[in-house]
Amino acid sequence: MKNPVGLGQLRKKEERSAWLFSMPALILLFVFLILPFILALGFSFTDQRLIPNLNLPTRFIGLRNYIRLAADSNFHIALRNNFLFVIIVVPLQTSLALCLAMLINRKIQFVNVYRTVFFSPVVTTMVVVAIVWSFLYHPDSGFINKMLNFLSFGKISGISWLNDTFWALPAIIILSIWQGVGFQMIIYLAGLQDIPLELYESSMMDGAGPWKNFVHITLPQLKNTTIFVAVSTTILAFKLFTQVWVLTKGGPQNATITSIVYLYKQGFKQLKVGYAASIAIVFFIIVLLISLIQRHFLKEERSVD
Amino acid sequence: MKKVSMFLLVLVMVFPAFSGGQSDAESDGPVTVDVWFHSGKGEEREVLNTQIEEFNSIQDEVFVKATMLPEGSYNEQVSAAALAGDLPDLLDFDGPNVYNYAWSGHLIPMDGYISADMKSDLLPSILAQGEYDKKIYALGTFDSGLAIWANKAYLEKAGVRIPTAVDDRWSFEEFKDALVKLQALPEVEYAIDFKMNYGQGEWYSYGFSPIVQAFGGDLIDRNGYKTSQGIINGPEAVAAMEWFQSLFQEGYAIAEPAGDDDFYAKKITALSFVGHWMWQPHNSGLGEDLVLLPMPVMGKKAVTGMGSWCWGLTSQSKNPEAAWKFLEYIMQPSQTLFMSNGNGAVPARLSALKRSSLFGAGGSLEVFTQQLSTGVAVPRPITPAYPVITELFAEAVQNIVNGADVQSELDKTAAAIDQDLADNQGYPVK
Repeated sequence: MKNPVGLGQLRKKEERSAWLFSMPALILLFVFLILPFILALGFSFTDQRLIPNLNLPTRFIGLRNYIRLAADSNFHIALRNNFLFVIIVVPLQTSLALCLAMLINRKIQFVNVYRTVFFSPVVTTMVVVAIVWSFLYHPDSGFINKMLNFLSFGKISGISWLNDTFWALPAIIILSIWQGVGFQMIIYLAGLQDIPLELYESSMMDGAGPWKNFVHITLPQLKNTTIFVAVSTTILAFKLFTQVWVLTKGGPQNATITSIVYLYKQGFKQLKVGYAASIAIVFFIIVLLISLIQRHFLKEERSVD
Repeated sequence: MKKVSMFLLVLVMVFPAFSGGQSDAESDGPVTVDVWFHSGKGEEREVLNTQIEEFNSIQDEVFVKATMLPEGSYNEQVSAAALAGDLPDLLDFDGPNVYNYAWSGHLIPMDGYISADMKSDLLPSILAQGEYDKKIYALGTFDSGLAIWANKAYLEKAGVRIPTAVDDRWSFEEFKDALVKLQALPEVEYAIDFKMNYGQGEWYSYGFSPIVQAFGGDLIDRNGYKTSQGIINGPEAVAAMEWFQSLFQEGYAIAEPAGDDDFYAKKITALSFVGHWMWQPHNSGLGEDLVLLPMPVMGKKAVTGMGSWCWGLTSQSKNPEAAWKFLEYIMQPSQTLFMSNGNGAVPARLSALKRSSLFGAGGSLEVFTQQLSTGVAVPRPITPAYPVITELFAEAVQNIVNGADVQSELDKTAAAIDQDLADNQGYPVK
């Protein structure tokens, strides 16, 4: 305590550089996230057009957009599709990712080749993936129908994957899982490699088999990883847009419409920026609530010893 | 001091645009004109690029700085630019989308620029579609043609009469009869191809609203453009779309073509319902077997589409005169002919039309000229609500082809269009 003033100054200086270093990130966050959100909130109470009319100014219309949204069956279907997608994709993709991670977490030949193969869809642009799958899904000449036809001895044929109200959403789900699973697999792989081998060695001494090892060691040890994977997959799944836009534009008859697709249609196709903004706000609140609930029920264990 | 300069440094690093600044300061050199256009078909793009290069080299008053934007999201990019107040001097619009910009005050009328000579030499359909609120806001250097292309070998084999001119067209009965006879040929998997592979978009409105109009319906009440109720979902429109749907359900038309070439390369369809832009591939694929049939009667009469990409001068332009000079250049008869020979579209100038080997008397595509001059071709609705109408109608078409109930689908469309009209206070003028 010889020089308390100097220490204070030092702390101040540190604080200043901390601000300075986080400045680029903060500015970007403000300009591209917080500011647009505030603007969207403002727009959602107006009838803002995408192509503003210089003679017919934007009007403040109070809660009209929100009242209309509450009665808008298209939006309800979009939300239902979002939830359906999340409820099916998150558990399926998470467990598939764990299976794949365990398969490639072994000392086998060409393990890196397998890892690359499983991971490559993740680094491929979604638009490209969707276009390739549109060929695979083609009713007459697509690979999937040809294979089904062959395997079922000609009993299954001509499923119109993308233009059938029943099959369109499953088709989107299958390709989304195929594209996204590699990312979760890599995270699980890192989690698996973090588990100390001694745990397995001692359990083997106690006579535990592979299934008991999996249930009592692997799964509990991966708890934090699983939470991270589940939460991030949920948020990613809610953002569903690209593959739907490329393949079905939300159709047929709204079978694959999602909140973001509906927002894009309202904002950019029907030029109703005000209404689109109110969709964005409601959607944001729903996703925020779900993330908070998830965090509440799935508490991460901060220290593992 | 130091903090401020560090902050500025960060700003400069984050936003290179701030430090870049405007470089095109005004000097004695040529006036720079910003031009945007969609990167359409290869031939069209090449012709336009050549025209820009030539224009820039033959005079030194105006320099055209052109930017090509991808066609897929062209409309969205332009409207986002309008919202940001960032439109160029001159740009092209996808047909009737131009009226919303004219209504919004983003375009300036061209009446003062168009000479009497040019006006009297323009294709009437070009003028009809460029006009909004009694002023001309848009000019296309070409118009479009839509009819049915046929494989002559199949028509002859099936014993179907081959009409060659507009007043010789198939009646509705003849058309339906032709579909049945062609479908029966062993080589033919589908009698007609409606180009559903283009996907849900402007094609559906351009191509299939004429069918609705031929049956006596329309997309919107053209008397004042105040409602769609009873028009787009009226009995005539419903009958039209139910007939259209039946072609797919009964196997005459292909709902999901595997590619673009079923008609001219695989030759598994006998007829192709599509526009002038397929002239080159059709001609090289079928050669002597290609015939262009005039649009047949469907329901009550024969109706076809018109209109294509068109140019507009923006109110943000500081040099509309300079931008007009470029537009005037590409509107010259010789230049419209140059474009027409490239992309196979109908040239916008009557004098060019006469000289055209394709569209003039006896040309292979003369049917298109006849359709435009005899009132068979109908412009799409001339209203600022068009972007919304076309989006909703295209969605309805997609659902109908996939088996949705026609009446309830069109009821939804009518309600949504009327909602949009109400939201925009009926799109009042001034």
